[in-house]
Amino acid sequence: MKALLASILTLTFIGFLLLAIVEMPAVGSDSSIMHNVVMDKYIEDAMTDTGAINIVSAIILDYRAFDTFVEASVIFTALICIMIVLKRSGSHDEK
Amino acid sequence: MQTLVNNYMFIGAVIMFGIGFMILLLHNNLIKKIIGMNIMDTSVFLLFVSLGYIKGKEAPIIVGGEISKMGYVNPLPTGLMLTGIVVAVSVTAFMLALTIKLNDMYGTIELDEIQKMRGR
Amino acid sequence: MMKSSIVRHITSLLLPFVQIFGIYIMLFGHLSPGGGFAGGSILGASLILFRFIYGSEATDAKFKATYMMRLALVSLMMYGLIKGYVFVSAFLGWHSVIGTGTPGTLLSGGFIMPLNVLVGLVVAITFYFIAVLFEEGDFNNANTRQ
Repeated sequence: MKALLASILTLTFIGFLLLAIVEMPAVGSDSSIMHNVVMDKYIEDAMTDTGAINIVSAIILDYRAFDTFVEASVIFTALICIMIVLKRSGSHDEK
Repeated sequence: MQTLVNNYMFIGAVIMFGIGFMILLLHNNLIKKIIGMNIMDTSVFLLFVSLGYIKGKEAPIIVGGEISKMGYVNPLPTGLMLTGIVVAVSVTAFMLALTIKLNDMYGTIELDEIQKMRGR
Repeated sequence: MMKSSIVRHITSLLLPFVQIFGIYIMLFGHLSPGGGFAGGSILGASLILFRFIYGSEATDAKFKATYMMRLALVSLMMYGLIKGYVFVSAFLGWHSVIGTGTPGTLLSGGFIMPLNVLVGLVVAITFYFIAVLFEEGDFNNANTRQ
């Protein structure tokens, strides 16, 4: 009973997503709408602006370094939250 | 039907999302639910990174001092998914810490036994 | 603490190479694929292996808990200050301290290499601490003061 209901819900959900995929351009096609002027600007100006050879490193550490800063602070906050959750209260027994 | 065969990577990502969703709904063990959520995260990363692939071009590293004539793969989705992967790892670590705390309090990891103990 | 001598000998031969590999990936992030996150993960994994093989007392004597927490906090704040300086100096037109250099060498790319090292330190220390917390639950014999 529960398995039947779960599978009907999942198949409906995936059916909607597959309907959206039918309208997408093929994998690896050159004329997709994602490869536009923004990509050309990053590829052409990465070496002269920053001096780095790796274009992905130049993007995440020079053009968009604030995103990396916020994400490093997300890691740090997760560590603090785990320390708070796993703290034992009172006296803990000897090893 | 021909378009469905051409977009094999996106269909694989959506099916993986569906598998992770079913695992999350059907199993009672908390660790299996965490594994299902991790599979759902990975499928979204697969979808985004495979959107940037262009056939016949090479990896976005400038070798030899000048921009290659063949062109480069789109570097933007790869760079933006690095942040997402790190956030997924942090959320998984926090969920596992909460599971340890639940095991200390109730003595079991099965979800229906915990609900019976709380009286629902 | 593993008592098997085969594992201890092989680990003592293998660990320096793992750490050198992690530092190489972290430092050469602007020349080849890699960067701060991948190198930091490898360094964190090597620290966890050291703790797993040699026991918790030897590791706590080498890497103290409060010292590593302060190192992670200072790295995060230094990242914010350096990026703030780069942003403001480009906005107001000041001359930047470190130029771009010649592309292709190690000391190029402005502030990208120090930022890689700082992010790698934060990630490595966080992974090591999460593994310690899952195993023991609290810092038992760490010299913490309130």
